[in-house]
Amino acid sequence: MKLFEYQAKGLFAEAGIAVPAGQVVDNVDAVEAAIGEVGLPCVLKAQVLRGGRGKAGLIQFATSVDAARTKAEQLLASDHNVQKLLVEESLKIEKELYLAITVDPLTGKALVMGASEGGVDIEDLAVNAPEKIVRQLVDIKQGILPFQLRNVMFGLGLKGETFKEGMQLLKALFGLFSRKDAELVEINPLVVTADGQLIAADGKFSIDDSAAFRQKGLARTREQFDSDIEFEAAEAGFPYLQFDGDIGLMCAGAGLTNTVYDLIADYGGTVANYLEFGGPNYRRAVEAMAFTLRSKPKVILVVTFGTIARADVMAEGLAEAIETLKPDVPIVTAIRGTNEEEATEILKGLGLEPLNDTEAAVQKAIALCG
Amino acid sequence: MSVFIDKKTRVLVQGITGGEGRYWTKHMIDLGTQVVAGVTPGKAGQDVEGVTVYNTVQQAVTATQADASVLFVPPRFAHDAVFEALDAGIRKIVVTAEGMPLHEAMEIRSAARLLGATVMGGNTTGVITPGVAMMGFLPYWIDRVYRPGRVGVMTRSGSLTNEATAMMVKAGYGVSSLLGIGGDAIPLTRFAELLPAFEADPETDAVLIIGELGGSMEEEVAEAIEAGLFTKPLVAFIAGRNAPEGKKMGHAGAIVSGGKGSVAGKAKALRAAGALVADRPSEIGALFDQLGLPQ
Repeated sequence: MKLFEYQAKGLFAEAGIAVPAGQVVDNVDAVEAAIGEVGLPCVLKAQVLRGGRGKAGLIQFATSVDAARTKAEQLLASDHNVQKLLVEESLKIEKELYLAITVDPLTGKALVMGASEGGVDIEDLAVNAPEKIVRQLVDIKQGILPFQLRNVMFGLGLKGETFKEGMQLLKALFGLFSRKDAELVEINPLVVTADGQLIAADGKFSIDDSAAFRQKGLARTREQFDSDIEFEAAEAGFPYLQFDGDIGLMCAGAGLTNTVYDLIADYGGTVANYLEFGGPNYRRAVEAMAFTLRSKPKVILVVTFGTIARADVMAEGLAEAIETLKPDVPIVTAIRGTNEEEATEILKGLGLEPLNDTEAAVQKAIALCG
Repeated sequence: MSVFIDKKTRVLVQGITGGEGRYWTKHMIDLGTQVVAGVTPGKAGQDVEGVTVYNTVQQAVTATQADASVLFVPPRFAHDAVFEALDAGIRKIVVTAEGMPLHEAMEIRSAARLLGATVMGGNTTGVITPGVAMMGFLPYWIDRVYRPGRVGVMTRSGSLTNEATAMMVKAGYGVSSLLGIGGDAIPLTRFAELLPAFEADPETDAVLIIGELGGSMEEEVAEAIEAGLFTKPLVAFIAGRNAPEGKKMGHAGAIVSGGKGSVAGKAKALRAAGALVADRPSEIGALFDQLGLPQ
């Protein structure tokens, strides 16, 4: 789960990492009071989860209350689903650094990355000048050791008091990464101010969904999603993505669902939604179909090839879903795997023409879209 | 000979008294797998399909010399169960649970590397040598999906694996050994690390990799081929060619970000190394034909 900048900065501040003075507002009238706290000039930052906010015009500067109000109004009315703004003090920037902690799947260790050229696209730097990025692997259980902190700080080119401050900051950041089951924490830019202070001017924070059961303080909220349906599907535990094409997917297994998605594109079709009801959800066909129908598909395509997720159970589930929801669009099925003969009989009993070939099912679904 | 598991492997089932544990223990035994013990804390003395249940892995290993373990435990208990098996000296472990916390997976990956253990998963359907033995849950009894043969398979998926092996059977090919490495974000064992076992296996003529968008495991396979570490023919199918950037496509590991982990990049690297890449599962058989593999 990705956190908004203001949530990330809240966690930074709790851990003792300096952040700019700031206030979150959700309407134009609250801007003046916020400026009363943070002063002028100020920065207005749209709280959205997409990257590249600067280029998209979602970060604005203002030197007066009136200008700030106008810009806040524009940001809140933009088509980027902006629900909140972070109003912040404008920093006196001497230098911009990059600092992040992520997971290295190869070694099974945490990977700290730093660069003395922050603020830029770190991926460009990684490609064009990889030697400018300092990398330090850290054992997650052992925690970050002093020499590892020093390696990063020398890599960032820090000196004197700022060096010491940086050691403390990274130690705190690593503690946060560890405690919060993070998959990514990133400060870009990490600002060095004119008086040598280190301030986290931005914050990215992503928490491992698989550890949500022990990170209860950070609940999923509607504003993290682009649509009601994606939020509700996430709450219900269905992998779901909303698209604007014709074919509603009810598939099982990430690999197979991705393959179906590819095949639809290959054969010239379009996808209304991506939905998986395999794994722990294979008995939940009624709920799955209800989500799929909300994506307004012209046809529903059901493709499965399960082992534990038995074909006969999924076919029975589909029968129940059809009876309960009475979908007014055609349904194409390729339900295979454990007990597939029984599944075929159940589907025929529903008046469907069950297929057992994925590509044939995809082609039929596309043909039905007209 | 086979890869990872054979008739002599003495298999322990952790979580044997749960519904899935019981059901799949029966299927593993039916295939010929030597299941020597089960473990569920507090259930010692029970019997599942003729297999004695112990309270701890240590007790099970002492009593039965089990040397491999398959886990049917929920994701939040998987970390504890893996370390219990490692502590008792077991060095081959299959983790079926989907969605183990990332930081716990890191600890396991790190510890397994130090101990020289092979931990498969999480979120794997397991490993099988058709006609010989299985740890996990693959529907080997469906003839049109699995038959013994001479192609080694490595995969990140479950359902898609059935799809791909069914296409193999249709084209006249079968599986020598199949290793599921699972769909979680941190695979505890990676594709390239398993290539030497297939290289050494006289019953494997070629390898099929069923990959997916995200991560760098397919690229590592390409590097291993280029370095001469794997010399048998290799065919790959990689799902998620059209996945939009930045969207998590189901599996925790299936995401393209910052241009990395795209299927196009993976296919390019594999082709440059001399591997064949199928754009669709239905093309897999034709690529084996092209290689002139014996059926």
